[in-house]
Amino acid sequence: MRKSMLFVTLLLSLIIVLAGCTAAPAGQQPAAEQPAGEEAAAAGEPVTIDWWTVNSEEYSEEVQKAMVAEFEASHPNIKVNMTVLPESGFSDKMTTALGAGQGAPDVAFFWDNNWFPEALDLTPYIEADPNFDPSMYFEGFWNTRAVWQDKVVGLPLGVGAQFVMYNKDVFDEAGVAYPGADWTTEDFITMSTQLMDPDVKRWGGDRPRRPFRAIWFNYGAHPYSDDSMTVDGYLNGPESVAAYTWLWDLVQSGSTPTPADIEVLGTEGTGPVDLFLAGRLAMATLNQGHMLNAVKAGANFGVVPEPQVEGHERYVNAWSLTSSIWKGTEHPDEAWTFLSWWVGPEGQKFLMENGNLFPSIPSVLEQYKDADQEYAQAFFDVLKLKQVSEWRIAHPCDGAVARAAGDVWDKIMLGDIERDQIQSELDAVVPAAQEALDECRDRLGG
Amino acid sequence: MMAQQLDAPRAAGPKAPLLSSRARRWLGNGLAYLVMTALAFIVMIPLFWMLSTSLKARWEIFAWPPQWIPETLHWENYREAFTKYPMGRFMLNSAFLVVVNVIGELLAVPLIAYGFARLRFPGRNVLFVLMLATMMIPGHIKLIPLFAIYHRLNMIDTYWPLVLPAFFGNPFFIFLMVQYIKTLPRDLDEAARMDGAGTWTILYRIILPLCKPPLTIILVYTFWWTWNEFLHPLIYLNSFDKFPVQVGLAFFKGRYSVEWNLFMAATLVSILPILILYFFVQRQLIGGIASVGLKG
Amino acid sequence: MFSTWREMSPRTRREAMEGYISIAPWLIGFLLFTLIPVLASVYYSFTQWSVTRPAEWIGFDNYTRMFTRDPLFWQALKVTFYYVLLSLPLKIIFGLGLALLLNLKIRGMNFYRTIFYIPAVISGVAVSLMWMWLLHPDTGVINALLAQIGIQGPAWFWDPQWALPSVALMNVWAVGGSAVIYLAGLQNIPPHLYEAAKIDGANMWRRFWRITLPLLTPILFFLLIVEMIDSFKVFTQAFVITKGGPLKATYFYLYYFYEEAFQNFNMGYASALAIILMLIILAATVVMNYLSKHWVYYESEQEKS
Repeated sequence: MRKSMLFVTLLLSLIIVLAGCTAAPAGQQPAAEQPAGEEAAAAGEPVTIDWWTVNSEEYSEEVQKAMVAEFEASHPNIKVNMTVLPESGFSDKMTTALGAGQGAPDVAFFWDNNWFPEALDLTPYIEADPNFDPSMYFEGFWNTRAVWQDKVVGLPLGVGAQFVMYNKDVFDEAGVAYPGADWTTEDFITMSTQLMDPDVKRWGGDRPRRPFRAIWFNYGAHPYSDDSMTVDGYLNGPESVAAYTWLWDLVQSGSTPTPADIEVLGTEGTGPVDLFLAGRLAMATLNQGHMLNAVKAGANFGVVPEPQVEGHERYVNAWSLTSSIWKGTEHPDEAWTFLSWWVGPEGQKFLMENGNLFPSIPSVLEQYKDADQEYAQAFFDVLKLKQVSEWRIAHPCDGAVARAAGDVWDKIMLGDIERDQIQSELDAVVPAAQEALDECRDRLGG
Repeated sequence: MMAQQLDAPRAAGPKAPLLSSRARRWLGNGLAYLVMTALAFIVMIPLFWMLSTSLKARWEIFAWPPQWIPETLHWENYREAFTKYPMGRFMLNSAFLVVVNVIGELLAVPLIAYGFARLRFPGRNVLFVLMLATMMIPGHIKLIPLFAIYHRLNMIDTYWPLVLPAFFGNPFFIFLMVQYIKTLPRDLDEAARMDGAGTWTILYRIILPLCKPPLTIILVYTFWWTWNEFLHPLIYLNSFDKFPVQVGLAFFKGRYSVEWNLFMAATLVSILPILILYFFVQRQLIGGIASVGLKG
Repeated sequence: MFSTWREMSPRTRREAMEGYISIAPWLIGFLLFTLIPVLASVYYSFTQWSVTRPAEWIGFDNYTRMFTRDPLFWQALKVTFYYVLLSLPLKIIFGLGLALLLNLKIRGMNFYRTIFYIPAVISGVAVSLMWMWLLHPDTGVINALLAQIGIQGPAWFWDPQWALPSVALMNVWAVGGSAVIYLAGLQNIPPHLYEAAKIDGANMWRRFWRITLPLLTPILFFLLIVEMIDSFKVFTQAFVITKGGPLKATYFYLYYFYEEAFQNFNMGYASALAIILMLIILAATVVMNYLSKHWVYYESEQEKS
């Protein structure tokens, strides 16, 4: 019995020790986090700000570490505590911290529009900062990725866009003329069919990966009305039906990889770049990151915007990563100093020269080392098109509506419906889509 | 005690064997080897593929026709995988987490399970069901509140949130242990009690030595789960140097594409420690009451 | 059984005290790290909460919406139940079968046991990719093998009819993980029982039904409950491979929950979904626990009767 009591005592003391250990740092931490930070800064003690970023092809961990070192060298009163996260975990981690209302970083990517309510409005900082001129950014990206509900919720880091990359070797071999920038969605299907070669398991072009991106907008199709009230007449309107019908035609042409082909070849939702570079896909909808991969692999390729539809305005699915200051920060001034340096000309130039970033500042982008290359020029041209995000930023419910309409997409992909059934299939999902829209609008507005 | 179970077969009586018992055993073993080798082969196919992918150049992976054995074996992928990111460091971090978690579970689980399995106290059944119920809650729903709790406790970017729960016992293991202890005859306890042993002596001197199999399972499973943990370390840790192996593996998936060859190389190496541990530890599964040769 | 603390004999009272001490670690952990988050979720399930906007109390709206106006909820429920009914028996049967095989006392068994354990330890993405590659409709190994014997294989993950069985198949493949637990249970069967049965002339089949199975029931019960919970919480495959499709054939409950919580930012509704799932699993567990009285055999309890 004595022995057993000894054990229980040991166990209890273990628990107490555990509790004690956790209490100890608790005593120290607040001292460092005192809002007296500014006084400390004045006294020469550096302020530390937390920064969460990801590791990507555009900026590796080392490059960002070097960038921080350069920033700290020119700003001795600020220390940047960098957290590099894997791309696949960043969103869950941010959502958790923002949802908990604590433990979020001072500066981070706010790439999900749903995080914007937690971002600090930068308007006063921009107005107070004589060195900072928002007009240095691409206007389109400033409008879609920095401004939200009349607030400046962040600064846009880098630019990215989807476009079609085509393998010139395959075109030459098949005797098909290269696509021009003015090509149409019909051309896409025709070329795809000509380029396909089942003997070597080669496909012509790829299928879109979701509706209501560039091609749908090129058809003038929107998932719902601009006032976010009505689905009927939009999701199942003539423009939308035309876009879905184009998809149907493309699928039925048999010249495109099926979802099974795309997924099994390990694209993980990022685009079939590996398939393209293996020469098994003549045309692929990819982005600037893939383009750099292709350059590195020595591929012989060209770049054109996603195909257009005659008589309609042309769109691009483009993005920039909104980089913001968290509302709950205790050092907003220092955070602004870092943010405006990192996403400003110095930081973006550093990441362009040492990493693979395409800056969102035209005057910096001009200095890109391969700016005179044909592919780079074509990419810069794509960036000038109207952005899908312009509509999406004001309409946060398109994901929910697209999900409610997902069955139509799947049926077309599976070849389960006839061409003339598209209208009725879209009509059939309208009530569910309307329900989803109503629910979402109540919560997220629009 | 097994009388009711064993009555029936007596009537049948032994049939005259066609083969000698030795030949039969030999045949039976041969058959077992055959079946197991076939199954092992099926189980291994995907692994061959992983191995083959890990030895290819990046653009070879998706070439047609696919090759099982690449023309040149790119062993340097393994070196690159381990220099591109500090995978060795990540594995050491995971190893540390594993050790502490194992200690925690081994301290807590037998004690708790013994209470649920053998001791009678008011509310036991309700508490037991409550414990089972905690296994049913989707982990994701607890993320935000738990993050808030650990942040309040100033444990963010420390290993505490990743090891502390082990010291409170994992319900899965507690349940397993309870079931196991329940299969041990109560005579054991009673006899020891007659000899004047207290509750804790019975637990640590009589019951626990018979529990080698479940304790081994706790060891194996804790190792396995801790090693494969991705979400929680990701949420609670901020420092690159502290990341465990699964977070490290995720770095191979970039924003625009995945370096499959490096990823597979790193994955293959990362599962080796679990397999080595399992290979050596599984013989401990043999133990328990069968080894004592205790008569019921 | 118990009246009040006072009426207990000193011995029962002491036993009860010792009982509380022994489960204290769990209880403390439960109060600190489980109860608070669960109560928070219960609260959030009565609110409209978009994570980054303040939560708004809306009473039972989330629950009424779920049961009256949300076809996705019913689809997720249907798919998940179907999956549980399909995969649970498969996992139990194959797990037990594998364990019996691995329990044979032959040379080199350590090696085989380790091999069969491999599938269980490869986690997440890598294993999902392997399966996508194996089950590819045109170029996958499985369909190639089927073609050899003249069978036209299905499109597996990419066929609405086959997607769910494919996920089940994938999980059966990793059954080596639970085989370990069966093995431990098998070790606990006293060998003298087998010897006695052999002397009585019971053949292998009979020994299995009369000795192995009854004495394994406590472990079987454990695995049944645990695997059931696991099956209800199936998620990774839908997340990595099928994205819930095609045609929502693998729209598992937890996948829907995750979409609502972390992609749709509908945390209030997601909390309500989580609570309902918990209640469903709890109900199933209670039923199984009740039924267990008829088939689970505990050495320690049997003796008293």
